[in-house]
Amino acid sequence: MGRTWSSMDDFETFLDDGGMVEVDDDMPDEYRAAVFRFIELHANSELMGGLTERDWIPMTPGLRHKMAVLAKTQDEIGHGHLLYMVAADLGVKTRREMLEDLFAGRSRFHNVFHYPARTWGDQVAICLLVDGAAVPSQKAVYKDCSYGPYKRILKRIIAEEGFHLRLGEERVLRIAEGTDAQRAMFQQSIDDWWWPALRLFGPDSKPNDRLARWRLKSEKNEVMRAGWVQKFVPMLHGYGFTVPDPGLTHDPETDVWTCGPIDWEPLKKTMAMDGPDTARRIAEASAAWDSTRWVRDALDATPAGAVA
Amino acid sequence: MRTYEIFLKRDGQEEYRHAGSIDAPDDELALLLARENYLRRAEGDLLWMVDRAHLLIGDRDFVAPNSDKPHRDNDGLLVAAHRKSQREST
Repeated sequence: MGRTWSSMDDFETFLDDGGMVEVDDDMPDEYRAAVFRFIELHANSELMGGLTERDWIPMTPGLRHKMAVLAKTQDEIGHGHLLYMVAADLGVKTRREMLEDLFAGRSRFHNVFHYPARTWGDQVAICLLVDGAAVPSQKAVYKDCSYGPYKRILKRIIAEEGFHLRLGEERVLRIAEGTDAQRAMFQQSIDDWWWPALRLFGPDSKPNDRLARWRLKSEKNEVMRAGWVQKFVPMLHGYGFTVPDPGLTHDPETDVWTCGPIDWEPLKKTMAMDGPDTARRIAEASAAWDSTRWVRDALDATPAGAVA
Repeated sequence: MRTYEIFLKRDGQEEYRHAGSIDAPDDELALLLARENYLRRAEGDLLWMVDRAHLLIGDRDFVAPNSDKPHRDNDGLLVAAHRKSQREST
């Protein structure tokens, strides 16, 4: 069927030559496991993000933005769908096993989905800062991704995340032009979400990062993080907001903004499933999973070969 | 539950392109799920779906013999070289 490689060296030479791996290839087990973990984490994060987005549909102000949140929720759940298909095809876990692991708290999702969104300002900050971090991260994976099915699905996902980011920029403009109370609410949201969003990029990349070696990542975490700081500090300052980083520095010669020391403890806690909102989020998702069991049972009971 | 492969086509001369896959218990729900997951912004004007179990696959080994048939191509270099040598000799 697919291709085989006699050794990891052989496989890595194939990757170095720009080779793309397809689902029917006999890829090395370590590569298969790494690709699977990466896509499962991405899928889980899309789903958990979509569930929070859904919580805000009734509370979103104004019809235009409410409709946009409906679309964004559908996008995030849709991305989860697409990614779970790609992950399941790797044959490590079925889609249902992945979902059961997620709702039982046995598998991870990104740090930013371990925090509560308390106000509309938080939703605006998430849409700007978190989507603003997700887009460059996903683009960096897409750019040189060695796993074909993931690369092709990412193309679609990135295009839709672009809509979300522009929605975030529009929301910020609206809230920046709002009342003093609205501006104060958004300043609080920046203060709460700045660091979690910045930590989404993760600690500095290690030189022996296997994901980089296998062309699942094409950019170092610290480079993407620096680009994010450089984009959002001037934008928020321009609207008259502040950024909660006492160590933030600005080089007037190069006009480059650099963030201060980063506390990684909160990231470790979220990765250990111990974030500020982890338990509630998993409990809610798990309850939704249980309450929709009848749908899965009905689908499973559909006779094989049933034709519309 | 069955797995379906999804192909989308825009009007015009473009060919159908593989977009991804979806799990569904039957054809009716498969079409609906495909539209809501792959065509939310009308990314295609037409949709084809096929149950993965019904795909006929010609794998790499089957296709491979035709990657080594240079006599089926003509890059025109032979004629170009001949003309060039003719020009240079006059």
